[in-house]
Amino acid sequence: MLSLAFACFLAALAIGTCVEVFARILNLWTYRSPLYPLINVVLIFGLVQGFGVGWVIGGREALRGVFPVLFMVGAVLGLLTEGLNEYWLHAWSWSDRPILGIRRSIDKSAFIGVAWGFAPLLTVFLARLIAARPTAGAYG
Amino acid sequence: MNPALSRTDKIHAAILAAGGGGLVCAYWIAFFHSDLTLPRFVHDMTDPALVRLTTVYLGFESAFPLADLLIAVTASLAAFYLVGRDAKAVLFGLIASGALGFLGFIDISFNLLHGLYAPALLLKDGGLLMEAMINVTCVSGAVWSIWRLWGHPLRRAEDRPSRLMGLQDSDPPAG
Repeated sequence: MLSLAFACFLAALAIGTCVEVFARILNLWTYRSPLYPLINVVLIFGLVQGFGVGWVIGGREALRGVFPVLFMVGAVLGLLTEGLNEYWLHAWSWSDRPILGIRRSIDKSAFIGVAWGFAPLLTVFLARLIAARPTAGAYG
Repeated sequence: MNPALSRTDKIHAAILAAGGGGLVCAYWIAFFHSDLTLPRFVHDMTDPALVRLTTVYLGFESAFPLADLLIAVTASLAAFYLVGRDAKAVLFGLIASGALGFLGFIDISFNLLHGLYAPALLLKDGGLLMEAMINVTCVSGAVWSIWRLWGHPLRRAEDRPSRLMGLQDSDPPAG
């Protein structure tokens, strides 16, 4: 059986990879360096939102009670990440393609910042499915 | 061109982000993972009246995270837009402040109705004292934030009848 902590990390990596692939296909944003998407998936998705928020907050409690806190912390950290990029880092930039009708760069950052709240929520949900499933080795 | 970010705006953005976003998150993480935020009486299982109050108190508190989510997200959005000198800072700041004041008053109302502000209780219970301080900070912070945002230069002139009337009075007569 996988530990829930590791399952959270893996689940967040999977979600992050899906998001980046999806964004690339739809040409939603572009990175200044090819290394940045990797950093985003491993560091921000995997370690911060998956392991840090998902496991630390949602690893022990019933999801029903703690889900607003997971979304809240994910969104606040997401807005912090997007704010740092929008005003100082400029590691990624938005394409001209609107996101759900949103056209301005600052609004896109705010929208995606709040959407980060879903990352730890989905992570914990997915991680519990992974961790509950016995691996092949568990059958001996 | 939007007005420059003043020093008070920077402080306001920091309070919205750290207080409205960060501290609200920290409070709920502590609530679910430690006894730090809980009043002392919740551990007293000997007095049936206190056991009943504990059940009511914990039930009441556990209803707050979803509502606090609104405050944390809108306060962070207000800080985000305030740093970017965008007028949406006023919208989200007013939503966050209104919600903060509303929840502060609900908490105050609960504590008053259950006698949790009794000086004798406050003095011997660190958890209750912290809660009373949070209540006062919520209401006063909400009032200050609403007052500041209402007069903020980022608020559109057409939303401010008093300002529009002032502008019309100073206009030279047509013709």
